[in-house]
Amino acid sequence: MSPHERPRRLSKPFFTAGTIAILVFMAVGYAFGITRLLLGLRFVTNLDDINTWGIWISFDVACGVALAAGGFTTAALVDIFGKKKFKPLLRPAILTAFLGYLWVAIALMFDLGRWWNIWRPLFNWQGNSVLFEVGMCVMAYLMVLAIETSPAVLEGLRARAEGDEWGAAFLRKVKKPILTIHSWIKIILPVFIVAGVVLSCMHQSSLGTLMMIAHTKLNPIWDTPILPLLFLMSAMAVGYPMVILESIYSSTSFGRKPEMDLLAPLARFIPYLLGAYAVVKFGDLAIRHKQLDFVSHPGATVALAVELLLGVVAPLVLLMNDGVRRSPGWLFFSACLVIFGVILNRFNVFLVAYEPPFSQKAYFPSVGEISMTIAIVCSILFCYRFMVTFFPILPGTAAAEETGMAAGEDEGTEPVSPFWTWVVRGLAAASVFGFVLLYVVVHKEAIQATELTVKEVQRVTAPLPPVKAAGGPAYPHRPSGYKNFYLLEAAALKAKGDDYEPVPFSHRIHDELVNGDCAACHHRYASSPTDRVGSDLKELHAGMDVKLGGPCSACHDSLADRPPQSCMHCHGLPKEEDAPSRIGLKGAYHRQCIGCHERQPKPTTAPTECAGCHHPWTPDHAALVAFKETPGPQDVTRECLRCHTKVGQDILATAHWNWKGRSPTIVGQEHRADVALASVINGYYITFSPSTPQSAAMHIGYGKMDGSFDYKDPANIDCLVCHDATGTYKKDASRSGLPDPSFDLAAAAKKVGRPGLRECGSCHFGIGGAPNASHGDLEPALVADAAGLDMHMGTLKMRCQDCHTTTAHRIAGMSFSAPAVEGRVRCEKCHGATPHGVAGALSRHLDDHVRAVACETCHIPSFAHTAPTLVRRDFSVAGQDRPEKTDAYGRPVYDKKLGSLTWAKDVEPVYLWFDGTRSATLVGDKIDPSKPVVLNAPVGEKRTPDARIFPFKLHTATLPYDKKNKVLAVPELQDGYWTHFDLPKAITDGMKKAGVAYSGEYGFVETKMYSGIHHEVVPAKKALGCADCHQAEAITCTRCHQKAQQMDLPEHRRKVYPGVKERLDFKALGYPGDPAVVGGRFYLSIGRGKPPA
Amino acid sequence: MTLSRRALLNLGLTTSTVAATAALAAPAEEGEKGKAAPAPNYAAVLVDTTLCIGCRKCEEACNRRNHLPRTAESFENRDGLRTFRRPTANAFTVVNRFPGSPSPDQAGRAETYCKTQCMHCLIPSCVSACIVGALTKSKDGAVVYNPTICVGCRYCQIACPFEVPAYEFDVALTPKVRKCEFCTDRAKGTGANPACAASCPTEALVFGPRAELVAMAKDRIAKRPDRYVPHVYGENEVGGTSWIYLTGRPPEEIALLKLTSTAPALRTEAIQHGIFKFGAIPIALYGALAGLMWMNNRKAAAGGEPPASGGPKPPASGHEGGAA
Repeated sequence: MSPHERPRRLSKPFFTAGTIAILVFMAVGYAFGITRLLLGLRFVTNLDDINTWGIWISFDVACGVALAAGGFTTAALVDIFGKKKFKPLLRPAILTAFLGYLWVAIALMFDLGRWWNIWRPLFNWQGNSVLFEVGMCVMAYLMVLAIETSPAVLEGLRARAEGDEWGAAFLRKVKKPILTIHSWIKIILPVFIVAGVVLSCMHQSSLGTLMMIAHTKLNPIWDTPILPLLFLMSAMAVGYPMVILESIYSSTSFGRKPEMDLLAPLARFIPYLLGAYAVVKFGDLAIRHKQLDFVSHPGATVALAVELLLGVVAPLVLLMNDGVRRSPGWLFFSACLVIFGVILNRFNVFLVAYEPPFSQKAYFPSVGEISMTIAIVCSILFCYRFMVTFFPILPGTAAAEETGMAAGEDEGTEPVSPFWTWVVRGLAAASVFGFVLLYVVVHKEAIQATELTVKEVQRVTAPLPPVKAAGGPAYPHRPSGYKNFYLLEAAALKAKGDDYEPVPFSHRIHDELVNGDCAACHHRYASSPTDRVGSDLKELHAGMDVKLGGPCSACHDSLADRPPQSCMHCHGLPKEEDAPSRIGLKGAYHRQCIGCHERQPKPTTAPTECAGCHHPWTPDHAALVAFKETPGPQDVTRECLRCHTKVGQDILATAHWNWKGRSPTIVGQEHRADVALASVINGYYITFSPSTPQSAAMHIGYGKMDGSFDYKDPANIDCLVCHDATGTYKKDASRSGLPDPSFDLAAAAKKVGRPGLRECGSCHFGIGGAPNASHGDLEPALVADAAGLDMHMGTLKMRCQDCHTTTAHRIAGMSFSAPAVEGRVRCEKCHGATPHGVAGALSRHLDDHVRAVACETCHIPSFAHTAPTLVRRDFSVAGQDRPEKTDAYGRPVYDKKLGSLTWAKDVEPVYLWFDGTRSATLVGDKIDPSKPVVLNAPVGEKRTPDARIFPFKLHTATLPYDKKNKVLAVPELQDGYWTHFDLPKAITDGMKKAGVAYSGEYGFVETKMYSGIHHEVVPAKKALGCADCHQAEAITCTRCHQKAQQMDLPEHRRKVYPGVKERLDFKALGYPGDPAVVGGRFYLSIGRGKPPA
Repeated sequence: MTLSRRALLNLGLTTSTVAATAALAAPAEEGEKGKAAPAPNYAAVLVDTTLCIGCRKCEEACNRRNHLPRTAESFENRDGLRTFRRPTANAFTVVNRFPGSPSPDQAGRAETYCKTQCMHCLIPSCVSACIVGALTKSKDGAVVYNPTICVGCRYCQIACPFEVPAYEFDVALTPKVRKCEFCTDRAKGTGANPACAASCPTEALVFGPRAELVAMAKDRIAKRPDRYVPHVYGENEVGGTSWIYLTGRPPEEIALLKLTSTAPALRTEAIQHGIFKFGAIPIALYGALAGLMWMNNRKAAAGGEPPASGGPKPPASGHEGGAA
């Protein structure tokens, strides 16, 4: 053969106008590419979450792979089917394919968000992923193509080594390895030629499967199960047109004659391949035509029509014509049509068919995307040009590889020995075998994973029996009719004569104590209303293999159909005829209560004494009390003490008697026992002077409490002021607290009883000089009718001492004015730590509030409903003669003795943290007059664990103080200022009497005084709601009140609480914001976890 | 009926919130010991769109919980509902408003709200699609993402039938796929709900074991046939989802796509594994082509033409041996 027939280098200058134009396009495109790498996809592309794949995938990758099909189709034709005459076309076709795949990979790097992770699929196999399949296949095929291209490169290098161009000297040194590699490649090439065809078939078809996972988003025109087959067939059909295009194009561009003698016969194959594709494609459309909708997406229909008519039918018709195949122009045009058809098909599948349902804007590639794509195409052209210029790719007029090789062999390379031939061949086979093995393993793994998933899904989707919703009793899991509280009394008991008041019994607390086990008390079950014997619950359950002891609600959704009987359903009088062995109701109560209480681990609060549960009725004293003549007050006391011998001494030790006592709740004075009421400054009368007759009238003793009063004589005790049950006894302020002489003391003494609201209220309701003036939540109306005012005193008819428990006449309770404390009152004592019900989300939610919010805060929305309370006193304007004037409530707005007064009704409390202790300002304590002096501040802040938010009444007052010594002045009022209205003199006298140094210079200072609000408790229905404190949005309420969804809740709230807005100032309380939003004190905010148990 | 069996059932129901996570967390250890522990179930959320009031608290909770960037406007601002929104890289869940009352018996309400987030499909397309397995289905059914191995191909976005995964297109080097991951660390000792469900004021979102929630949903439909469309959305859609919806109007009206009950992932996997199961077809093709090549070469040699390449015999035997 003549040398010009061999594949050879192109003898043309490398840089031409065309090459430079290509370089310019590449520069522009890669500038965009680099911008994408530096700034991110958004800055260069039009991609978004909906259209996440653009032309970089649909053209650069999908079309790139399809158009590189010339490589494997030609290789199959020449090497497998043995059509050796097409051999000259093989090298350019393989080179085109290699460059195509190489730039597919490079283009992909620009599209991948984390391109530096592109090696990951090698190690993180995901055999279920079609993309993994495509990726691994493409990678393997790229390697195969590199091997297939390498002979041309090696030959080019060898040829260069023989010449004297640049680099020849170096190449001569490595000539031997080049020759060795060349001969090895020659040996293994057949292995990889076949592998290349197989790999191509695999990933060409897999590319079709790629979009099928988006089945629901694909236009059904293209979404067919045979899409992989269509992709493979179209890739095969486009292979030879690509070879023809490339050959004719390069021939014309390099000024050579088109190799029509090869191309025309090659074109003969195209109608068969294209025809087969057309048959399958049209057949698929015909079979599925009923499911297809060509009308609603006209764009898609047009795209399909163009794809089929222009890209399939037209070239098919053209190429069946022999004349067309022989004409370079027509052949070129027909090849272009096929290529156009395939490109449009890939665009159609990847872009046009992809119709995401939530698409908001259509995708069109950006300038950057288009430029990059052009740059990729230009890169391939540039590399092609480079390769054909420097390496023997293009044929002369005809070519034969072996001629070249023979030439090489001529130059004395030793032929490879048979041993090495088989070693190299074995290695190649092993690599293919390894790939197959890997492939099998990955697939097996993936298939198993899917099987597991499906099995798991089948398990979790197995239907459950429908949930039985519990009925709606007031207390979930409790029978209907369940009550929190019972008064244990019964006609059966009364009939037999009874010495005791009925027992208040908290059903719910006992329910919680026995952990919801109703059977602990309700031990038998009666099957009918007439059955008064019933059957034993333990035996009943034992028959069903159930051991009693847990909460009943654990098994019973509802006890509605079998409610536990009340005690008196069976128990009545003792020794009844129907069941003489059944004990009576009284016995049942006592056995159940005492027995259980005695078994409680010590120390216990469960009472075992009679008086621990119920109070005896006070016996009629008419017969017990006897007087020889008309008794004086102290005679009555002596008569009382005749029987109640110990009580006299008890009372002499109480705070009510001494007006002083232990002050454990006053910070700084915790360990003192001698802080007297008189030594504490208050905002009402500055000091409480015991020596005045008014004070004497509020003391439980007879006589004025000046130096002459004998605190040691029990006969001075005024028993009747508390124990008079006639309601007529009255201390006379003008007679130092002694009753009117005309009052029938003997009659009162014969009818004594337990103190009630009236008796306690005779002093406490009037503190501050007028009804309810000081406390605000203690009004005289409570005595007569507390029903609407206070839950305890009204609805439950409780007495003061039911909460203010009394031991040896020492009465529990803490005041913010009096220093002495003889025990504390706690709601929890009766209501427990979980007061809001026994179950349910709302109960738990409200019980969580108890950690930070006192009961009173919600359950006393406001106070002073009938009698106005004093909220401000300005002493600085006292002593003037002003006309008498009253406010809207009929209360004086000015008093010459006290200054101006401000009264208020229905007062909303102020809310402060309070841990149970407080400060106090004693006479002589230094003050800071630059700001309002807080006389008795509640102690506590958000971070104090014991502190809770409590409601307080705030009373402000302007009081005189010693300007130099910075102490509050204590003017002498009674027998002093109130007679002469000379303030400097009154202060001098008062300070002297109090023993506090006085500079003679006084001014006025603003003071604040708090009193705790604990009375006028309202039930749940009237208590504050969520929206009173928390952000006034409907959501806060509808969390639980789902029925309230349509209500205008802010409006509703304004109706219920007129004028009330954000109750609690959370910022002032130390929260960063509404705790419903930012989270509570000691647990995490919403969504971050459960509060610690 | 034995009482003890009933007791078990009832205990499970009364303590369902605790049991939900307990049941999800417990089986791993107990299962290994071989004890008859209650079988674990997938975590799920039931969305009752008739209860949703569009307060956007779930959006806010999600934002806080996932440390997403603070939004310019407050979540209190319901103007955000005016435009139809989809989950984005900075908002894993969004609530949309649709005109018309949520159900026939709620005539007083003029709007329906519907929350959107990752549905956590039982057979997730994204997991099947992911090229490296960066998206996985965890034991409790949550579809979670591992950015370390992600290559950023965004095939998950193509695959997701609900169009949920969002991508950080404006991050240059380390963009991530962002979507609801079901607050996956919820089981780490806290037993708490996902943030959105925990914050839902109307309990329109209920978190629990999937089977229980499906039963609950059906119970609600049975109890209130006037209120609900008799279809639990997500029970069977694309093979079932962990987020299930109860609606009072046709789901399509409130942007809940009409989908078939087959999982798209199973369809592609069937094709893929059908063609390439254990590489059988490729290996057969290789064998056939190699045989053809060998025959053609032999024919060429016999015909006196020089063989195509140096090796007259293709090494087909080696590969066929490997395939067998």
